[in-house]
Amino acid sequence: MLSRSLTFGRLNLEARQSISPWLHGLIILLSVVVGLGISVLLLIASNIDVSSIFEEFIVLTFFDNAGLADVLLEWAPLILVGMSAAVAFRVNFWNIGLEGQFVWGAIGTTMIMLYDIGPDGTQIYLMCIGSIIGGAIWIAVPLFLKLRLGVSEIISTLLLNYVAGLFVLNQLFGAWQDPEAVYYKSAQFADHQRLPEIGFGHVHVGLYVALGAALLVWVLIERSRLGKYMKFVGSNTGMALAAGIPVTLVIAATVLMSGALSGLGGYLVAAGQEYRLTIYVAIGYGFSGIVVAFLARNNPFAVVVVSFLMAGLYVAGENIQVFYGLPEAMIGLIQSIIVICVVGSDFFVRYRLHLVK
Amino acid sequence: MAHAIQMDGIVKAFGGKRVLDDVNFSAEWGQVHALLGENGAGKSSLMNVLAGLYLPEDGTIALDGTAERINGPAHARDLGIGMVHQHFKLVRPFSVAENVMMANQQRSWRTGLRQTVATIEKLSAELGFEIDPMARIDRISVAEQQRVEIIKVLARGARYLVLDEPTAVLTDAESERLLATTRDIAEKGASVVLITHKLREALEFADWVTVMRAGKTVASTNSGDLSAADLACLMVGTAPPDESVAPGQAGAEVLSVSNLQACRDDGVQTVNDLSLAVQGGEIYGVAGVGGNGQTELAEILMGVRAPLGGEVKLDSEDITKRHPRTRRRRGIRSVPADRFRYGLSPDLSVGDNYSITKLTSGSYGSFLWVSQSALRKNTRAAIKSFEIQGAGTATRVGLLSGGNAQKLVLARELSDDSRLIIAHSPTRGLDVRACAAVHEHLVAARDAGAAVLLISEDLDEILMLSDRVGVLNRGRIVGEFSRPVNRVSVGECMAGHA
Repeated sequence: MLSRSLTFGRLNLEARQSISPWLHGLIILLSVVVGLGISVLLLIASNIDVSSIFEEFIVLTFFDNAGLADVLLEWAPLILVGMSAAVAFRVNFWNIGLEGQFVWGAIGTTMIMLYDIGPDGTQIYLMCIGSIIGGAIWIAVPLFLKLRLGVSEIISTLLLNYVAGLFVLNQLFGAWQDPEAVYYKSAQFADHQRLPEIGFGHVHVGLYVALGAALLVWVLIERSRLGKYMKFVGSNTGMALAAGIPVTLVIAATVLMSGALSGLGGYLVAAGQEYRLTIYVAIGYGFSGIVVAFLARNNPFAVVVVSFLMAGLYVAGENIQVFYGLPEAMIGLIQSIIVICVVGSDFFVRYRLHLVK
Repeated sequence: MAHAIQMDGIVKAFGGKRVLDDVNFSAEWGQVHALLGENGAGKSSLMNVLAGLYLPEDGTIALDGTAERINGPAHARDLGIGMVHQHFKLVRPFSVAENVMMANQQRSWRTGLRQTVATIEKLSAELGFEIDPMARIDRISVAEQQRVEIIKVLARGARYLVLDEPTAVLTDAESERLLATTRDIAEKGASVVLITHKLREALEFADWVTVMRAGKTVASTNSGDLSAADLACLMVGTAPPDESVAPGQAGAEVLSVSNLQACRDDGVQTVNDLSLAVQGGEIYGVAGVGGNGQTELAEILMGVRAPLGGEVKLDSEDITKRHPRTRRRRGIRSVPADRFRYGLSPDLSVGDNYSITKLTSGSYGSFLWVSQSALRKNTRAAIKSFEIQGAGTATRVGLLSGGNAQKLVLARELSDDSRLIIAHSPTRGLDVRACAAVHEHLVAARDAGAAVLLISEDLDEILMLSDRVGVLNRGRIVGEFSRPVNRVSVGECMAGHA
């Protein structure tokens, strides 16, 4: 038998057979704290007063009405992209194309306005459906390539992000450009084509849409038959097939759902914040979605929580930018540090370290 | 002159079961020595003891007359013992020379590589191997990879060469060539041990034959002194048939397989024109040495591997191209050989693994909401009736013991009406009690009218349970026997001497 432990001097390293969810949670929490600690050191190194970090970071972001409204506004699309990534990752489909699907969600939304489809009163709902279809279509291509030809979805979804971005750019310089604007963006949505605000800052009903979608996804992946099938497809595809699970169908349904969720994110931003199609509509959401899903370990409930904290980090980052003139890259840096700390903590999840006397 | 290898009274046990029980073995310089036996007879275990991979509980080893206590693979290597395993130990993306060098570490990379290349070229010329030292392992054929393994051990000056089932992966012509080479190596003064279950190889290429059965050496003799029939008899023994299982009442034909053709993942054709038929209420045992197409046959019947040709019918309906889902609905159940590949998902819970094939039955709630309480209730009932120990509904399946995991598979596969049960090595790795339980469940299913296809490399199990026996050799059924089955005839068929 091979030994499952290693010794370095007085330090003994042992592979764990299993780990309790509490200890697992604690290890992840500690690694986030370590990540935040390193980030604070970075901020101090950028000449930020230590005593005001708490004030800028926490109080102005979460305990100030304007700050909280900004966080909620940011939160809604992050829930959707986080869910989108988590759902696809559950069946081992590495969807790196959240941004492209997000863009196509925004395109689907905007096309209802551009081509004036349906009666005015229904247009806001049609836009929602349009965004879902847009996102799903954009992921259907890599899905087909993967299932039929075995093309790596990591590459195809990633590259289609650029295709989506450039397509929007092309349209906004041409057919879809607002004739009255000097800059490249589409015409503005009419009032009935906008998501109504709920009376707290600029927060709009898109937040309810996102939370509703999250609940639906939770039911589908944690409680429904599809969710059970997804678990088996994700953990042991050969066994899933032998057990009679329609593996291809499960993967296709899950992946299309992932694309639709990202597309819905595009709807929230286009119809709730920008009120038009711009080339910046999806910037940053794609990769944040992956980060959220990773930190949440693809757990839908955790996605909702983590995306809230992530939204807070964005808003706090903007505040710091305004107050201290720090570059935007600082927020990306802090995000990355936290992610790397969580990745590294996996070592302590898999191994147990103890001192030998 | 002293024996090249002398092993006396070797004992090795795993979990209380003696796989080597007071084994004596000796081999001479300049000879090819065939170590013959069925799967699980203890051949590989004995040679793993020699190679330092297993430490024996008891017994002595002497090499060239000097007593040695081999305490690990590195020690065995230093003593000049080289073993070529059945599953090659090569690093795929690296070159031949790099692999050889990894096994024979040199001080400097560059001069070491140059020296290694020279050694490989010299050895390949001597043995007629035609190996390009700079070729990547994953670009060369299986036969060439095996030659690299041989060069690897010879390059570090091995004088005791052990080859574990070397021809299992080769074509006839390649086998012929390899065996001729082993003769050359022996004649240059080495001592070669050839682990095999093929009678012909032992008779044609070995100077001396030792036969093992159930952890003991049963004969050791000059290969010229024995006929194929004698060897087959020694290999499978003459134990009286176990008649504790009453014969079944065969009914209408349930499964019919005709002219099946299939390839393994690496493209080697392992199922070749296989035909068989199983009736309801009978156990049809497929006997044969592992690697003769058993795995592919089981996978095709489960529906997870597409055949190249041929037809599979269930109750006279062609199901050759049906999805496993349809097959399950028609009543096909499967107890796979590798339970964590096709049977269970070790990361998930007992409850999930038990209920996964039954979610559509209607008793587990709707599509949108799987009833957790029904899932727990039914799983608990199954745990109780199949006596699965150490399992709650939420226990991770990976934490169950082998026997209990297998009982979980049986509980799922046999707890509802079935037409056909494919049981592939259903008792592999189980203790005596768990084995008996598995056998009981299979017989009970047969008595309830199901057709049972039992694919097993354990001849005792086949003979005890089967109403009819088919022998699988090189991808086809080469002989069929009805009760009472003659053990020796089956043994001869298995060893390719029908």
